[in-house]
Amino acid sequence: MNENESELSRYNRRDFIRSTTTFGAMMALMGGVPLQAEDKPAADSGATNYSTVSAPVSCGVIGCGAWGREIIQTLGALPNAPVVAICDGYEPMLRRSKESAPNAETFTDYHKLLEKKEVEAVIVATPTHQHREIVEAALKAGKHVYCEAPLASTVEDARAIAKAAKAAIKSNFQSGLQLRSDPQKQFVLGFVRSGAIGKTVMARSQWHKKQSWRRPAASPEREQALNWRLRKETSTGLIGEIGIHQLDLMNWLVRERPSWAAGYGGILAYPDGRDVQDTIQSVVGYSGGVNFSYDCTLANSFDADYDIIYGTDAAVMFREDKAWLFKEVDAPLLGWEVYARKDMFYKETGITLVMNASKSVQKAASAEAAANLSSPLHYALVAFITNSGIVRSGVKDFIDSYGADAEGLAETLASLTKGRLHAAGYQEGFEATVSAILANEAVMKGQKIALEKESFEI
Amino acid sequence: MFNSIRSHTPKPAGTNPFAVIAACWLMLAASLNAQEAARYRASPIGSKVTIEGTSTIHDWTMTGPNIAGFLEVPAGVVLDPAKEGLAGVTGNKLTARADVSIPVTSMQSGHEGMDAVMQDAMDAKTYPRIQYHLTEMVLKTPHAAGTPLEFDTKGDLVVAGVTNAISMPVRIEPGDKSKLKVIGSVPLKMTDFKIKPPVKLGVFRTADEIKIVFEWVISPPAPKQ
Repeated sequence: MNENESELSRYNRRDFIRSTTTFGAMMALMGGVPLQAEDKPAADSGATNYSTVSAPVSCGVIGCGAWGREIIQTLGALPNAPVVAICDGYEPMLRRSKESAPNAETFTDYHKLLEKKEVEAVIVATPTHQHREIVEAALKAGKHVYCEAPLASTVEDARAIAKAAKAAIKSNFQSGLQLRSDPQKQFVLGFVRSGAIGKTVMARSQWHKKQSWRRPAASPEREQALNWRLRKETSTGLIGEIGIHQLDLMNWLVRERPSWAAGYGGILAYPDGRDVQDTIQSVVGYSGGVNFSYDCTLANSFDADYDIIYGTDAAVMFREDKAWLFKEVDAPLLGWEVYARKDMFYKETGITLVMNASKSVQKAASAEAAANLSSPLHYALVAFITNSGIVRSGVKDFIDSYGADAEGLAETLASLTKGRLHAAGYQEGFEATVSAILANEAVMKGQKIALEKESFEI
Repeated sequence: MFNSIRSHTPKPAGTNPFAVIAACWLMLAASLNAQEAARYRASPIGSKVTIEGTSTIHDWTMTGPNIAGFLEVPAGVVLDPAKEGLAGVTGNKLTARADVSIPVTSMQSGHEGMDAVMQDAMDAKTYPRIQYHLTEMVLKTPHAAGTPLEFDTKGDLVVAGVTNAISMPVRIEPGDKSKLKVIGSVPLKMTDFKIKPPVKLGVFRTADEIKIVFEWVISPPAPKQ
C-alpha cells in the first residue's frame, strides 16, 4: 500500500460523521482529528494539526421527555455543543437526562434557564402547544433557538413564533425539520431538481407502526401532561406530530406550498378515551397539479415508513436513510446508472442514490454504510450549532467594527452564507406547520379544505 | 502591539530621503495646524475581502463582508475621482493615515471545517483581527477626471501577531451615493506570517502563496454645518 492509500484507508466512518460533506471530509483530514489514535503525524512528517472544530456554542435543552433526551445525547456526541443547562417541569425527567449531561445545571422553570448568560442556544423539545411562550421568551433573552416541529399546535401560535424569529436578527432560529439538514436528502433533492425523474406527477408517503401513542403515568396529572398528543386541543394529530416531516419533504421536493388538503381517519384500534385518530388517510394538493397522498396508522406496522416521488421518467423512494431510483424503460439513459449499485424490491430494480458513492474517500466503505452515517437529528444539530456560531461571530464582528448602532447588521448577517449549513429556518418551519395543522383539520373534519395563500404569510 | 507598528518610521521612497521626510512633516504640521484631518470611515455595508489560495486538490477562497477602520487625509483634500488631479495635494505624496482591520472569524470558505482550520492557523483566539496600518500613499499622476484615483501604497500588515511591510497599488473609485471604494490586491505568503500552510500528508497540501483581494467601502466625512 502506498502512502496515499494508507492515508485514505485511515479515513474512517468516524471522520465522515465529523464532517458532513466531501470537502468537509477533506478538511477534517486537513486538521488533526483528535478521536483518531493513529492520526498524529504532526512535526516529524510535515503535516499540520489544526482543529476543524468551530468554536463551541453552549446549549440549554428545555423539555426532557424521550425526544429531549435524544437531543441531549446527540448534542453530547458533538465536539462543540456542551449542554450546560436542562429544564423540565417533572423532576424524574431531569434525573434521567443527567445521565447524558452530567455537568448540566437543572431547572424546573425555563425562565430561570433563560436567565443564565452562559446558555447561548436553547433547544425547545416540550409538547407542541407549549412552544410559543418558551420560544418567544428565549428569543427575547437573546438566545439562538431550535424549536422542534411542528412549531406550534395552532396557526396563530406558529405565526407568532415565526414573527418573533424573523424580528430577532441577532438570533439563529432553526425549526426541527431535521430532514432538511440531512446531506443524503439534499443529494437526492439536487438529483430530482435536475430533472432526472422527468416531470413530477405525484407523491406518496406512509408511516405505519404498532404502538398506542399512550404513555403510562404514575398519576392522573402526569397522565394528562404526558398524553397531550391524544387530545385534540393540544395535538396536531398523526399528520402534524409525525407526518409533518414527510409532508415537508414533499413540499421541499415539489417546491410548492400545498393549496388544499383532504382527509379521513378514525379511532379504530385504541378506543381508550382519546379524541385524536389512530389511523388516517390524507391527500394534499399542490397548485401545479401534483397531489401527495399520505397514510399513517398506529394499528399496523406493515411496510413501516417511506416516501416516494413519481415522475414521468422515474420514481425515487426514500426509505430509512437511503434512496433508490426506479427508472421507466423509455427514460433517457443518464450514463452513470450502468455503474451504480442496484437493489431488488420485489420485481423492481432500484438504482441506489447514495451521496459520495463514487468518491475515493468512500472507496473502502460499502454504499450502504456510506448512506447510513448518522441520524438526521445529528445533522440538524450540527447545522444549528454551526449556524448559531456564525451568527454569534457575525454580530460580534459587526459591532466591534462599526459600533452597536450602525445600520447594516441584518444585511451583513444575511451575506454570511458560505459557512452556513443547510437547515430549515422560521419560514420553512412555519409553512410546514401551517400545512400540517390544516391537513390535520381536514382529517379531523373528514373534508377537503383550501389552504389560502394568506395562511402562509408571516 | 499596534502602537509599536504606528511608531515605525517608513523608509522614504524618493532619492533625497531628508527632503521627503521634511516635506511630509511640513505638510502634516500645516494641515494639522490649519484644520482637523478629513476622516473617511469604513461603511458597514458593501465591503468585500477575499483570500485566494490553491492546494494540491483545488483552488479555494475565503470571503468576508467586514473591513473596519478609516482613511484620513489632510483637510482640504477631497478624494474625488470625478475631478482632474487631486485637489489639495502638492506633489504626489499624500499625507494620509489609515488603520484597517478585518475580523478573522468573518472570513468564510464554504467548505465545512476549513474556516475552523484557518482560524486555528491564524490563531484567531489570540489575534482576532488582521490589521493594516498605512505608512505611505503616493498618487500616480496624471489623474484624469472621471477615472479611478490610483496610488502606490506601503504599509504594515499584521496577521497572527506577525508584522510585515507590504507594498500594493490601490485605486479609489466612486461607490454608491457619496461613498468610495478602495480597491486593491496583494500577493502574500503564509509562511511570511509564520503560518504553516495546512497539510495532510497523502491527501493534500495547501500552497504557501495566497492573494488578498479587497473592495473597501468608505464614507466621506459629514459636510461641515
